[in-house]
Amino acid sequence: VPRQFRVWGKKRGSRRTGSRLIGRLGEGVFSAVLFLIGTILLTALLTSYVSQPRPEMLRPGFGFWLTVLVLVSLMLLGGGGVARAIRLMTASAERRSALARRKRFYEIHGQPPKRDLPTVPNEANLINSPGVRLTYRLPANQSPAWRLIASMVFCLIWNGAAAILLVLAGQSFFDERPEWFLTLFTVPFLMIGGWAIFDFIRQMLIHTGIGPTNIEITDQPFHPGGRYRLYLSQSGRLSVRFLTVNLVCEEQATYRQGTDLRAETKKVFDRQLFRETDFTIEPGIPFEREAEFEVPPTAMHSFQSEHNALSWKLVVHGNVESWPPFERIFPVVIHPC
Amino acid sequence: MDPLISLRIHQHALVLHPEDELSCEYQIDAVSPSSIQAVEASVMWYTEGKGDEDFAVHYFERYTPSDTIDGDLRQLHYLRTKLPPSPLSYDGKIVKIRWCVRVRLYWDHGREMHVDRVFRLVPRSAVSVSSNGLAQALASL
Repeated sequence: VPRQFRVWGKKRGSRRTGSRLIGRLGEGVFSAVLFLIGTILLTALLTSYVSQPRPEMLRPGFGFWLTVLVLVSLMLLGGGGVARAIRLMTASAERRSALARRKRFYEIHGQPPKRDLPTVPNEANLINSPGVRLTYRLPANQSPAWRLIASMVFCLIWNGAAAILLVLAGQSFFDERPEWFLTLFTVPFLMIGGWAIFDFIRQMLIHTGIGPTNIEITDQPFHPGGRYRLYLSQSGRLSVRFLTVNLVCEEQATYRQGTDLRAETKKVFDRQLFRETDFTIEPGIPFEREAEFEVPPTAMHSFQSEHNALSWKLVVHGNVESWPPFERIFPVVIHPC
Repeated sequence: MDPLISLRIHQHALVLHPEDELSCEYQIDAVSPSSIQAVEASVMWYTEGKGDEDFAVHYFERYTPSDTIDGDLRQLHYLRTKLPPSPLSYDGKIVKIRWCVRVRLYWDHGREMHVDRVFRLVPRSAVSVSSNGLAQALASL
């Protein structure tokens, strides 16, 4: 049965129902038209400028240069589009990938580089800090100070804007010309501002009240089935209900949905390595414990590609009296066997 | 009628380990030699699941009629390559990693088709790697 010609195609996720060849041809023609328009108009502009010189043309103004810029942009966009369409039409995805890989290798080294484990994240950033008790001191994924600063900046900007709206709305009432729309618009603004203040205070309490958490380990990267020791240190002045360290693995995927870029995370492994309950930490005397653990023999290695990842981390959960619960994350890398 | 692409991986049960040599053979049939423009064979991994697809080619070869004496690309082709240590095959919840040999045929002035044979790259010390542990891995074999 001959395939019926369709004017419109449908989008099915990242795929389309229409002909890929026709789509690429259309893209190429569109880019070629842009390139031609840019070339012809730029040539005409420059020709007229050179062939009919007028006194005011000796010092071209902003408009002239803006026109040149727009036309050159059209040429570049169109030319790039044509080159891309030709590349897509003449080479398969595998061939492009193989060529890009080869080019990358030889551009950098003149020969294939020694990359032992493709797609496994580099652990260099995790082993550049020696530990006091054990071999390496792990860096935290997100410094509490950064979270506090982000919270403070958001709180200040949002509440500054909310205060201006509040003043304007209040002024309208004082002037006996109430702006009801502005007032209604200000209410959710103030609610979010209130939440921002709450979050900022919470972060400040966590930052100032709960001291730093340190984790040291005997080796990095880990290997499936390997046994390792970890050292946990928690400072502060705290009455702790419980403190745990978990080895966690998460899958992360990013995908396009329409014009949005979305990300999803799924926890696929969570094993408690250490738990201590009901103890007190005094200022200047940090809580310190060592624990031994085994990485599961069937554990998948860490993986990182453009849109997908599999990441392992040590997660410290704390629940203390008079403070909100806290969580600190220390990424680790697992190599394949 | 579309051409036929036969592709066979020699390793038993299609399970390989890092640094193993993958060997396979492929052949094009049911098409006149003059209409074949090119044949490409790739050993590659790709992702499946919730995220956009990522892939990378580990080994690639391409033949055009000018590469053979008689211009006939329907002959039996052999492919051998040493597999890398990673990424290993993985069957997760929202991320899956698959390895395959893909043979792509360009024929009849711009038409193309391809055939994939999926295999598993698993560590030597384990039967399989899975987010749900060994039980699921054994069940899937």
